[in-house]
Amino acid sequence: MTSTSIILKTFRLAWKSLVANPTRSFLTMLGIIIGSLTIVIVVALGQGAKKEIEQQYSSLSVTTILINAPSTVEGAKSKLSYKDVSELTPIQSLLIVVPQLSGRVQMQYQGNSSNLAVLGTDPGFQTLANLNLLQGRFFTSEDDEQRNKVVVLGAVVAEELFGSRTADVVGKSIMVGKKEYQVIGLLEYKGGTVGPTTIDDSIFTPYSVANRYILGINGRFNINAQAKDVASIPTAIDEISTVLRQSHNLKPGMNDDFRVRDMGTTVSSAVGSSRTMAILLAAVGIVVLLVGGIGIMNIMYVTVTERTKEIGIRKAIGAKEEHILIQFLFEALIMSLLGYIIGIIFSFLVYYLLIKFEISAIAVWWSYFLSLAVTLGIGTFFGYYPAQKAAKLNPIDALRYE
Amino acid sequence: MSNPLLQLKDIRKSYEISGTLYPVLQGIDLQINRGDFIALMGPSGSGKSTLLNIIGCLDTPTSGQYLFDSTDVSRFSSSKLAEIRNRNLGFIFQNFNLIPNLSVLENVLLPGFYLGQENISKAHELLNLLGLDQKLNRRPNELSGGQRQRVAIARSLLNNPDLILADEPTGALDSKTGQEIMNIIVQLNQKDKKTILMVTHDRNIAKMAHRIINLSDGKIT
Ligand SMILES: Nc1ncnc2c1ncn2[C@@H]1O[C@H](COP(=O)(O)OP(=O)(O)O)[C@@H](O)[C@H]1O
Ligand SMILES: [Mg+2]
Repeated sequence: MTSTSIILKTFRLAWKSLVANPTRSFLTMLGIIIGSLTIVIVVALGQGAKKEIEQQYSSLSVTTILINAPSTVEGAKSKLSYKDVSELTPIQSLLIVVPQLSGRVQMQYQGNSSNLAVLGTDPGFQTLANLNLLQGRFFTSEDDEQRNKVVVLGAVVAEELFGSRTADVVGKSIMVGKKEYQVIGLLEYKGGTVGPTTIDDSIFTPYSVANRYILGINGRFNINAQAKDVASIPTAIDEISTVLRQSHNLKPGMNDDFRVRDMGTTVSSAVGSSRTMAILLAAVGIVVLLVGGIGIMNIMYVTVTERTKEIGIRKAIGAKEEHILIQFLFEALIMSLLGYIIGIIFSFLVYYLLIKFEISAIAVWWSYFLSLAVTLGIGTFFGYYPAQKAAKLNPIDALRYE
Repeated sequence: MSNPLLQLKDIRKSYEISGTLYPVLQGIDLQINRGDFIALMGPSGSGKSTLLNIIGCLDTPTSGQYLFDSTDVSRFSSSKLAEIRNRNLGFIFQNFNLIPNLSVLENVLLPGFYLGQENISKAHELLNLLGLDQKLNRRPNELSGGQRQRVAIARSLLNNPDLILADEPTGALDSKTGQEIMNIIVQLNQKDKKTILMVTHDRNIAKMAHRIINLSDGKIT
């Protein structure tokens, strides 16, 4: 008889003694079931959150730099202004610098009326935000200089006002606030935001138009820039700060009245914090598994005591310590493994429910292995001591036990 | 012609109970030859089971020398002792000591499992011989006392041991069934040439052995 078949037999033996007591075995496995399920689901949730964040920022390249006035400085009105755009434009490490004047306003086309976002900016914004046109054109510098009342629509705006994301809109006139504007272009659906702006929910006009006719001082002003490349981001941020402090007449020691952030850092810190959350939750899963392991250990101790006589008989007819050790270790492992399998089956159900309720979750293959490894580790660890106790029993004492 | 299977030289065993030593065996010298059939008698508490367990490598003596097949096993490791129990010894207990959640066949196969040689045909042969061929898949608690003891005998014989150790094998049986079991044990000695050491307090049963040893106050008298 080979050692493989000894292992198979021992496995069968352990299995038999588990099914002999199904209720107890199931209750013992409960901790493992919940623990392995938790790990898999938590990883799926973490992955879902990460994907969502990445999608949210996908329209921006990592070289994008956002400059805004912190809203916390209440009362002291920020000096960040349109003038700063021309101050920043000469900076070598920046490819594009554009203003962003944003706000919400009532828009109307025939019977459809909706309160939607407006963004007044420069033509460079199209490159910066990587916008693709479905129809028509983006506005130009002439539009800006001549304050032409032209707008480019985001996909969702077209849907709201014209009933479809791909409606024929170029050449149509819409009411923005109290004035009439001509639609010159329609953007592809994008998904995601640029700073405070959700591309698809916005209309885009030249800065001068938004400033004079639509938003004025009610708009939120900030500046977007794009660095030449990733390597020049730190230099660019430094230079922006220097220029703005000068332009705002800030003395050394005074706090900045503006904030400069680069997208790369922002995205990675958002991803980082969602990862921290996932790790935290995974830790909860591991703690649940640990508690499950302690449950297994307790029941194994009870089992060993109950079966002292059997252990004595086995030893009398020639079982060595390692035979008994393996037998009981297998029982612990089978319980863990079974608990894991049941846990994974339940995880499919939970996953299905998450998706159904539109909670972002993405199943990841390695989470199943992680969960399996932790489960088996815990089964071995907590099964070992009771199994060891069984193996070390003195045959005579065990035989006498009633 | 003497052909010693085992020799005990000044074997002593004492138990310590809360600091006090209670001597049970106080210098046992004994030689058992191949083919012997020995009955061990003595009053209750005289140490018969203790002696049998030491010979059966289930227990170790406090002092003294135990030669099994010319090898001193009194200081063997638990693993080595398990091997001797598995290959060379067969146990028959008063209360049968079958494993309740295993079938008759599985119980009989168990010594082969620990030997690493699963001998199914031998198990069938033994169970046939002992009239249990209809009970292979029964649990022990579905059998009568005599049937259980026959299962235990089959189990003790599976690995073809040199020595059969029986501790009051008829103690839990009525006299008729006890007689049947004794007939089997006598056959084992006469036909199969097994060496047998049997504890009993029944003089009529002891008479079936070649030799009777009396134990009293931890000594052979
Ligand atoms: N593990 C033990 N611890 C303490 N005393 C024991 C132990 N095993 C046996 N004894 C004592 O040793 C003596 C002999 O026991 P035993 O060999 O079972 O006697 P017998 O089989 O002749 O009736 C008894 O007094 C018993 O109480
Ligand atoms: Mg006794």
